[in-house]
Amino acid sequence: MLARRRPAGPGPTALLLVALLAAEARASWLIRRPLSPSGPELRQAARAALHFFNYRAASPSTVRVLKEVLNGTALIREEGENIKVAFSIESYRTENSQLGTCSALVGFKDHKSRPTVNISCTPLLDQKERKKEDYKLYKQIKQLETPPFETTIPGKLGDMDPSLQPLWELAMIGNSFLMWEKTTSTSSYYYVQQITNIKKWIRPDDFIILHYRLLLHEFRTQEIISCHLHLVWHPEKPSKTQYHCQDSGTQENGSGNSEGSGFL
Amino acid sequence: MKKLLWTICLLGILFPPKFGLKVQHDGISAKNGHGMLEKKESSRSNLENYDYTKYHPIEEIYKWMSQIEERYSEVVTQHFLGMTYKARPMYYLKISEPTSTLKKIFWMDCGIHAREWITPAFCQWFVKEILQNYKTDPRISRFLRKVDFYILPVLNIDGYVYSWRKDRFWRKSRSSHNNGTCFGTDLNRNFNISWCNVGASKNCTHQTFCGTGPVSESETKAVSSFIEDKKDSILCYLTIHSYGQFILTPYSFTKTKPSNYDELIRIGQKAAKELKAKHGSNYKVGSTSDMLYFTSGNSRDWAYHIGIPFAYTFELRDNGTYKFTLPEDQIQPTCEETMAAVLSIYDDIYEREWGFN
Repeated sequence: MLARRRPAGPGPTALLLVALLAAEARASWLIRRPLSPSGPELRQAARAALHFFNYRAASPSTVRVLKEVLNGTALIREEGENIKVAFSIESYRTENSQLGTCSALVGFKDHKSRPTVNISCTPLLDQKERKKEDYKLYKQIKQLETPPFETTIPGKLGDMDPSLQPLWELAMIGNSFLMWEKTTSTSSYYYVQQITNIKKWIRPDDFIILHYRLLLHEFRTQEIISCHLHLVWHPEKPSKTQYHCQDSGTQENGSGNSEGSGFL
Repeated sequence: MKKLLWTICLLGILFPPKFGLKVQHDGISAKNGHGMLEKKESSRSNLENYDYTKYHPIEEIYKWMSQIEERYSEVVTQHFLGMTYKARPMYYLKISEPTSTLKKIFWMDCGIHAREWITPAFCQWFVKEILQNYKTDPRISRFLRKVDFYILPVLNIDGYVYSWRKDRFWRKSRSSHNNGTCFGTDLNRNFNISWCNVGASKNCTHQTFCGTGPVSESETKAVSSFIEDKKDSILCYLTIHSYGQFILTPYSFTKTKPSNYDELIRIGQKAAKELKAKHGSNYKVGSTSDMLYFTSGNSRDWAYHIGIPFAYTFELRDNGTYKFTLPEDQIQPTCEETMAAVLSIYDDIYEREWGFN
């Protein structure tokens, strides 16, 4: 699709029209832009995709962690860009040292959060194993005594009591939803630094309810944002996450549903 | 009365959590971290017992510096750099083999951001490695023939103390602003290079507050006047941060590349390769503006700008799992791999300057 207009004639108007032409063409072309695997754009897309995956899979025993970005490209659209990215992952449970890969198409709308994600990952465990591990964690959490209100996971020295690890892993489902929602293309990215003030109870229909305060570290501004998160989870049924954050004075709310292990 | 006192003492010794002295740190009780906060060094606290695989509060680091100076007095001297906002002394260690040769300087600072606890741990580790091996390791002994090492283990002492006692995720200094309603300047936005133009905030409540002016903070003044003074001798400026796993070259405030960019990248990539060979950690190499985001007023850009040819920012482990609260069992592998990277950089700079002598 080349010139849609012909220059009216030589002279200053020609220059103006060429400029307009270029601007118009850019807007309607799909420009493909190769990206460096070690650059921030692909890492941003990989993170957003992985947060989305972890939240939708809602499987605390197989939470994935980004290992390395392999390759990717950006497709520039009018209202933002789509980023195609392939990356390697490992299991959060490092003792399992399982590796895998994912490929994703992430759609960022200019400065807007909640990027669209289309992702597929190689399985870490087979379906049966994963169900077994999730149920094991489910039982552990059911039997666990709620830790004292002021307990932080992890502790100041990065220590995590093994008995509390299932809580941290379950919280990652809710945290992933929050981090995915807040990620934009303009290099705002987030990590949950710590959870505390944990409340846990079991609903009559056997769903686990987890309610806690979390500290979110925003990388670009280096701010620590306090949020409250409410997670409803069962190993085999759709889960639900709601949160609100004190984001530089204003309150941000969000809620979403995750699929439970049916997603994988 | 005596019997009662003895009984109480005995109970305190036998059942410390119930009857013993419990130090309460604001908001954080002794139940967290299994009482590690009030764990003090054993009474026989000498250098032989110093545990480099644990995080140490500032009191222990001060003590460690004196002990290092005493133990390795033939090569180490402790020097006063300046005072913090709260009038705490800033000390650096100089490791120097006494010869008549005029030496160049390799500078390293850690702990410019309070919550990045792995970084003072690395500076201490680095000192320990140099001192324990300089006599026997030919690689290190050749450095000391031509170079003096200057190490500042904790630059932001006030912030570090605050992160131990009050807020684990504090980043800035503890200077007071707006009539005591607002605290702390981001010392790594306070240097006199494109000050507060991008990626820094004029709002003192923000974590990247650039201060009331360039070099407004006493800590920044102390470091920059020292480095300015010695800039003709300083070959390498390293500043250690966490987290993210990067080796970063200038610049942060622009995408324009420094004049020796290709060389900086080549050296950085070799260092990242040496680092990865230790424990498999992936570190990314590039300029801050390419790899991360735009910021201005940071120490590394300033150091490079005044003429120090090799200036890098290290961002140590991890990649987002534990972030600032890197578990103590990762201190050793992190320090080992970082050591490999730093020595690789030093090798390259040395050979460039003095050949393969």
